[in-house]
Amino acid sequence: MLSPRSSPRGQLLSQYVTVRITRLDDVDLGLFDYDRYNTLYFFLMNADEQIYMRYGGRDAQSPDTYLNLASLELALKKGLELHEQYKAGKLPRTERPKPVWARDFPLLVERTFARGQCVECHLVGDFQNQHRERDGTLDKITHLFRSPDIKTLGIFLDVPKGLVVQEAKDAAAQAGMRAGDEITHWNGVRVYTFGDLQYQHDKVPRTAKTVPVAVERNGKRVDLTISLPVRWWLTEIRYRQWTVDPRVYFDSRPLTEEEKKAHGFKPGGFASEVTHVDALAEMMKSHQLKVGDLIYAVDGVETDPDAHTADLYIRLRKTAGDSVTLKVLRGQEKLEMPLKTFRMSFRK
Amino acid sequence: MRIPLFVSAGLLVFAVPSVAPEEGLQWLDNYQEALRVARQTGKPIFLEYRCEP
Repeated sequence: MLSPRSSPRGQLLSQYVTVRITRLDDVDLGLFDYDRYNTLYFFLMNADEQIYMRYGGRDAQSPDTYLNLASLELALKKGLELHEQYKAGKLPRTERPKPVWARDFPLLVERTFARGQCVECHLVGDFQNQHRERDGTLDKITHLFRSPDIKTLGIFLDVPKGLVVQEAKDAAAQAGMRAGDEITHWNGVRVYTFGDLQYQHDKVPRTAKTVPVAVERNGKRVDLTISLPVRWWLTEIRYRQWTVDPRVYFDSRPLTEEEKKAHGFKPGGFASEVTHVDALAEMMKSHQLKVGDLIYAVDGVETDPDAHTADLYIRLRKTAGDSVTLKVLRGQEKLEMPLKTFRMSFRK
Repeated sequence: MRIPLFVSAGLLVFAVPSVAPEEGLQWLDNYQEALRVARQTGKPIFLEYRCEP
């Protein structure tokens, strides 16, 4: 046991009512909105259902990159401070989000309630997206590419210290962020933990060009504006196994503009080189691509404002299960090749 | 010190059934009960969502 009652962390936790929820049947998903692909996620709140902060969040590399007992202790202390402010009537009320319930999603009801099965967290996220696909409201860049990675902006946190920056590079450094800064606001919202920060970062519209950030430096607030790089939202999402993400069974890397020019491909297009072919491609009869093939068009399309590779183009613009025709350069030979995408049937 | 997930997932919870009540914390498994206890005691709530298929 890492935190017996007598330990500092145990003493902090003893000052809370601790509750653990493992299924989402009767949870207000609107109030407890979070990226469902977190194995563990915590809310610090009060009896009026006012949420003080979140603790959790992850990156593509690991579900526990940002889970740390020292930062949890910081969050618990801050939660108690905020609770004292709440009890003294000094904490501004936050507007409660519109309630959302698992039973509002017929596909989820059919899959879980009707079979007497658990409403698992990841199923909620997946079925919400299936309904969005049916309704025509699915925005893959927002709904599939959840929880963009702040390392893409050049922000590397000193994780045990919460939101203290260990190293700032790239866009963050250009905005003026420095090592030792403590991030306090993200997109105009007060943040206390990485869970808060990642949740607010996920809410930034994918078309945004900048995000306002505030840090505390030497006891003073410093406001910064981070310029968001192209495809700042792009992260590895294979671990999510979304049903609505077409399976293409290959990876590719974007060609440089020089490479595109040398091959006569369209400048700014998504021409890309196949770097990996999954064994499932042959088993599923999906396609006959080989490593080294250059894909320069999909169904005659060569450019896209969001996609820089052929596989990303297919995943963004096609529906799982669609078939497409690729234009491929293999050595000196130009080929037209069919590709059938597949729809994942994840633990259904 | 960074704690691996399986350590944090298994031990962060502080009170597995084998832990003696006086040593560990009492974890409720009912949200409405947690709200009731929080109102009664004036304590804040630490709510954990855990995927446990």
